[in-house]
Amino acid sequence: MSRYVIIRVATSLLLLVATSVIVFAVLRALPGDPVITRLGSTQGVSQETIDRLREQLGLDRSVVSQYLDWVGGLLHGDFGSSYFSQYSVTTLIGQRIGTTLELTILSVGLAVVLAVPTAVVAALRPGGWVDRAISALSSLGMAFPPFVAAIFLLIVFSVQLGWLPARGWVPLSEDVGENLRHLVLPSAALAAVAAPLIVRYLRAELIEALEQPYVRTAEGKGATRGRVVLHHALRNALLPALTSVGLIFGYTLGGAVLVEYVFGLPGLGSLAVESALRRDYAVLQTVTLLLCAGFILTTLAVDLASRWLDPRLRTVRADG
Amino acid sequence: MAELPVPAAAATPRERLRRLPRPSLLAVSAGILLLLVVLVLAAPLVARYDPNEQDPAIAFAGSSWDHWFGTDDLGRDLFARVLYGGRLTLLIAGGAVVVAFLLGTTWGFLAALRRGIVDELLMRTADALMAIPQLLFALVCISAFGASTVNLALVIGVLLAPTTARMARTVALQEMSRDYYAAAVAYGARRRRLLLSELLPNTVALLAVQAAINAASAMILEASLSFVGLGIQPPDASWGTLLKEGYQFLYQRWGYAVFPALAILLTIWMLNVVADQLGTSSNRGRA
Repeated sequence: MSRYVIIRVATSLLLLVATSVIVFAVLRALPGDPVITRLGSTQGVSQETIDRLREQLGLDRSVVSQYLDWVGGLLHGDFGSSYFSQYSVTTLIGQRIGTTLELTILSVGLAVVLAVPTAVVAALRPGGWVDRAISALSSLGMAFPPFVAAIFLLIVFSVQLGWLPARGWVPLSEDVGENLRHLVLPSAALAAVAAPLIVRYLRAELIEALEQPYVRTAEGKGATRGRVVLHHALRNALLPALTSVGLIFGYTLGGAVLVEYVFGLPGLGSLAVESALRRDYAVLQTVTLLLCAGFILTTLAVDLASRWLDPRLRTVRADG
Repeated sequence: MAELPVPAAAATPRERLRRLPRPSLLAVSAGILLLLVVLVLAAPLVARYDPNEQDPAIAFAGSSWDHWFGTDDLGRDLFARVLYGGRLTLLIAGGAVVVAFLLGTTWGFLAALRRGIVDELLMRTADALMAIPQLLFALVCISAFGASTVNLALVIGVLLAPTTARMARTVALQEMSRDYYAAAVAYGARRRRLLLSELLPNTVALLAVQAAINAASAMILEASLSFVGLGIQPPDASWGTLLKEGYQFLYQRWGYAVFPALAILLTIWMLNVVADQLGTSSNRGRA
């Protein structure tokens, strides 16, 4: 067990280092120079000013020392300073990270709440018309890029019905109700796409569980169908399905980037888009790495948690 | 992915009959895709208006017999713009699929053939690339290299390569454990022959599934990039660009955003269904 944990944690860390190298390398391989971009519209800037700015931002040093500086800073919680705004990257990210976390957690929660009962209903009679309707619906749901789902929701609930705000943000600390009102549509858009994935996975696990001998035993002892499904099959199917939640968390985090942009939410995703448009690499590389870290750590946590919760996984020790 | 293995013994003739319509689902979805491709390619013949012809007098007109999808903010015919926009979308998605296929199969087959340290190195690189959210990676690359049709196809293709490589490696390893492959190795076939005449033809069905999935992902990425303004730039317009423009005028005419959105959605949906159906049928053939 502990050997597995050590190996798994070490691989995750290596993966994180590798992603940081890739992100950094791509952003330095580029032809565009942020200093020139920043001065773009200003006329008659002397070469000296350009050099001074490059020096300030550390752009005149070797790529390797820039990378080590960046990573060293990250480890100390110092994310460097933005090329464009006077705030440090730490401040910018600090302002935004709460929104993204709240949105992602709400969306995954909503997706799970929608998906579990749906999967149970579908698995009760595999191949029946309810099951087929659910399959068709989830196949359509999976085709939605989250930001397209967001636009449809926006048209119906903001433009047509005027029930919910189309843009804007109220922090949780100011007004909980207003805060949630602004999050209904964004999290619905993300959940609409994530829920079908969970339904698909959980349905398959449930049907497999319902074919196991212990289900037959329970039925033989006279348990009702509902009890068999909820107490015997669902409990055994949920654990393998938990693995998919890690994946879905990452997927939602990725989808949140554009959903935040569509609804004008001040999160990490819209920060990434804004910095990409301005070529503010200092911010872009850190936000990207942060979201990678979020994804890698979630996968790690889910892996370790399901191993801890499900002793059956521990017996397959040989390939750990 | 989560299609259930059908227990062979339980298949009564009646159940088999019920399963018959399945291939037709593949036919229907492939047919719709083909129709879309033909419509888009034949845009000059199908559209009755020039996609860039402006007529401010009829800006934001709703759907009518003259303008099926209505008009946009400058009075351009939206039906024509969606058709022509589809050409760019198709071009980028198609290019990306080709890039991902070439890069991904080489990557995956090489890993499968060499094993050992090469395999380890190639696959760990794929893992690292796959840990970066695709859209963010695309934003990083496009803001670095600039948005042009060629760059978009290349960047998206490279982004899809690791998943393709993983798939190619898995199916290659499966094939390599079969007798015909062992026989080819035993009679001394060269590596090139093993790759091109033995592995490739036998894995092409599963790689086609991956290609359909890649096409859908490529369309999503292209639409996302164009939507935030880092993709196809006006006056050229892909479906993503049209969606972005429609989104800016939601309160003037929400139909403007709906038509490009539906085009994107329908294509992705059909691609997913095709991938699903192809996947289950080739798995069934194997079992």
